[in-house]
Amino acid sequence: MSGGEILSTLLASEVRGDLLILFHKNPGLIDTVDGIARRIGRTTITVISDLRELLQLGLLKQKRIGASEVVFLDRARDREILESVANHLKTVQIGVAK
Amino acid sequence: MQDWKNPVHEDRNRGYNQFMSQLSRQQCENMMSMAMGTRESSSANAHGNLWTGQKSGAKSNSAVEEAFSSLLTGIVCDALANALGRYVLDILASNGLLDDSDNPKEFDRGLQSLFGNGASVLERIVVKDLYRKLSIPYNSDARFDYEKSLETAKEVCFVESRPK
Repeated sequence: MSGGEILSTLLASEVRGDLLILFHKNPGLIDTVDGIARRIGRTTITVISDLRELLQLGLLKQKRIGASEVVFLDRARDREILESVANHLKTVQIGVAK
Repeated sequence: MQDWKNPVHEDRNRGYNQFMSQLSRQQCENMMSMAMGTRESSSANAHGNLWTGQKSGAKSNSAVEEAFSSLLTGIVCDALANALGRYVLDILASNGLLDDSDNPKEFDRGLQSLFGNGASVLERIVVKDLYRKLSIPYNSDARFDYEKSLETAKEVCFVESRPK
């Protein structure tokens, strides 16, 4: 997946933006899908598809703790993802008229 | 390994420090109180006026304008750093994107050229944070216009700075 594609995936919706902010501000956060939805002021049903996309990208991981399935940030993969986004942005010209 | 913290932190603080140096301590306290949405007047500021140290008119308008611009620049930096990391923010800053952060049209054009549809997501993050700081209700479902949203926030700043 190219840096541009990763960037599009990360910023595909407002919910995904909220999830990025939540996990980057709280990199040690481990919570259930319900808990994560509540933390960004949304319902489970509105976040589930965006969470799934971020899990598929590898930015988030899922594991079972007791009876609960929890989600957390994969910090190593997060670094890789942000680096590839940064490398992509280095190659793009900003279209600001000066 | 890139240091993700220092350069941008300094960059962001430059605006903040510039802003703070232009205000007296009382004005800073009043600005903070405005940002927190508290509107009670204090004994030191019986009218709840944000800019008691300055005469009314163009000068205080430009002070509010500058205060708003600094607040917005800080929020834009935080939003970009929190969403995409400090390294990305460094790149955007070095490309001059943040020079236009208080000019919604130019900033929007810059964001669009870099992020395409993702630009509106970043703009929403900025506006949401700005509205939270100014105690303005934010509705995710409403039609979004970055420029209009900033105008609304600026108006709130001006209204709050007028003598009651």
